[in-house]
Amino acid sequence: MNLADWIVLLGTLVGIAAYGAWRTRHIRSLSTYLRGSASTGWGTIGLSVMATQASAITFLSIPGQGFESGIGFVQNYFGLPLALIIVCAVFLPMYRRLNVYTAYEFLGQRFDEKTRLLGAGLFLLQRGLAAGVTIYAPAIIISTVLGWRLDLVIVFTGLLVIVYTVTGGSEAVALTHKWQMTMISAGMVTALIVLLLRLPDGLGFTGAAHVAGALGKLQAVDFSLDPSRRYTVWTGVFGGLFLSLSYFGTDQSQVQRYIGGASIREGRLGLMFNAVLKIPMQFVILLIGALLFVFYQFAPHPVFFNQAEWRRHAQDGKFAVLEARHAGALAQSQSAIRAWLEARASDDPARETRARAAMVAANDRAGSIRAEARAAIAAADPRAKTKDSDYVFITFILTELPHGTIGLLIAVMFAAALSSKAAELAALGTTTTIDLWRHFRPLAAADEHRNMQVARRFTAMWGLVAVAFALFAGFAENLIEAINILGSIFYGVLLGLFLVAFFLRRVGGSAVFFAAVAAQALVIVMYFSLNIGYLWYNIIGCAACIAFSLVLQKVLPPRARADEVRAG
Amino acid sequence: MTLAPGPDERADSEPPDIPGFRTWGGLYLFVFGWFVLVLVLLTAFTAIFS
Repeated sequence: MNLADWIVLLGTLVGIAAYGAWRTRHIRSLSTYLRGSASTGWGTIGLSVMATQASAITFLSIPGQGFESGIGFVQNYFGLPLALIIVCAVFLPMYRRLNVYTAYEFLGQRFDEKTRLLGAGLFLLQRGLAAGVTIYAPAIIISTVLGWRLDLVIVFTGLLVIVYTVTGGSEAVALTHKWQMTMISAGMVTALIVLLLRLPDGLGFTGAAHVAGALGKLQAVDFSLDPSRRYTVWTGVFGGLFLSLSYFGTDQSQVQRYIGGASIREGRLGLMFNAVLKIPMQFVILLIGALLFVFYQFAPHPVFFNQAEWRRHAQDGKFAVLEARHAGALAQSQSAIRAWLEARASDDPARETRARAAMVAANDRAGSIRAEARAAIAAADPRAKTKDSDYVFITFILTELPHGTIGLLIAVMFAAALSSKAAELAALGTTTTIDLWRHFRPLAAADEHRNMQVARRFTAMWGLVAVAFALFAGFAENLIEAINILGSIFYGVLLGLFLVAFFLRRVGGSAVFFAAVAAQALVIVMYFSLNIGYLWYNIIGCAACIAFSLVLQKVLPPRARADEVRAG
Repeated sequence: MTLAPGPDERADSEPPDIPGFRTWGGLYLFVFGWFVLVLVLLTAFTAIFS
């Protein structure tokens, strides 16, 4: 990075953070602090919802996923548009009507206080743990780029987001989201254009897409019914529907983005904006990863993309041999790809078939050497991080982009990290204040100034907790999956609580509470004992919570049901 | 027994105020149709390039 990169990086990051803090420094209203301005339009809400979901992990791990496994991960988002329609039609009107600060207040009004605390607790547990992972992702970039200590970068990033989130609350989060998403979009479009321009002469987008497709990177949809497959249309539509419904309907970090605003119309249009754009956006990010795979078939690249880890262990001759073998295999793979492209243009199907088989075999050889490199690192240090796909995109940025745009793309990673982090902190602080602190201090609820002070303190506290977790997040091999797995374990049950609340009008508080506890225990036991795609746990947790609720409602003793009547 | 509150009828009486869409149901149908179109396009993309 040179001076221009530093100016772009620090100018955008600190500028946006300072803008958010300065614009919201005089907020005195608890409603504005926790829900954002009452005049927010649908555009800001839509961008804020998008920025909350698009963390730095999105721009690090997902291109890496496209590079390593292809673009099939896009199926994960197939349930999202359907979920957002349900949120618009059912969840949002209810939250607006009850004028709640958090989604879990609704559980308290519908059931009882213990169910509200359970819902808030599941959210705080899941989101509190995930918050550490989201702050860890950009710290990897900076530590790789600058050679700084990872822990110092984590602390610096954490403090930056804590400052403006604590100052302006939800209003500062929405204001900064708008500019952060604008910068992220500009940065990713720039990266895609540079990548296309850097492809070998004569290949172009279509040629690169054909190469990527022939090497198995462009299977966007898979209709297989095999439950052990992680990404299929079915896991995406059904598992993804439940995951998205849980995330957008019951996760306070998202609910807080759309329950404010000028009217219910603004919230609905903001959500529909995401329903339309999310799948195309994820497709483009994954496609960047698949095109990077083709680009690196023709450009020299390390056998292991996490070069810091590689240099730490590559002390003896066998690592040098692996590097030399990888370079040789890459040259063979290049020749095989060119031969296949020629065969393809020759209109000779038999020749094309032979050339394709040779190309796939050459690519497999290069892939197996990369696997050997990972095994060599693991043998040298069993605790070493052996998955390097998160480093592919950042390697491209640092080595191929012109100066100035390097700073922009690094700023994109940071902006994405700050945007999701800020929404999480605001949500964690709000939930802790409204659902926990007020529960134990009911007399303090009327004191708006004190509520603001407490919300600020809890937001700062969660920021510090997230920083502490991030310092220990190094064990997470693939960041995006780590977060999704964590979400799938807890979100299903949380969604079950809300679906019972909305649709099973005869089920009461005690039945749903014990049902949720049992369903959560079941999901955790199944996760550690079965080998099925993790998205299924969203459905299992939700279905178990609903089924157990219905059964318990029938078998609970009359006295427990009487408690529910009082709770109502 | 605590009953779930009913749907907010006022929410649906407020129109989307977007040209071509008079009801929220129409807008939801459009978004669903968009999703189906994206699914078809991705299936075609897979067939062409795989």
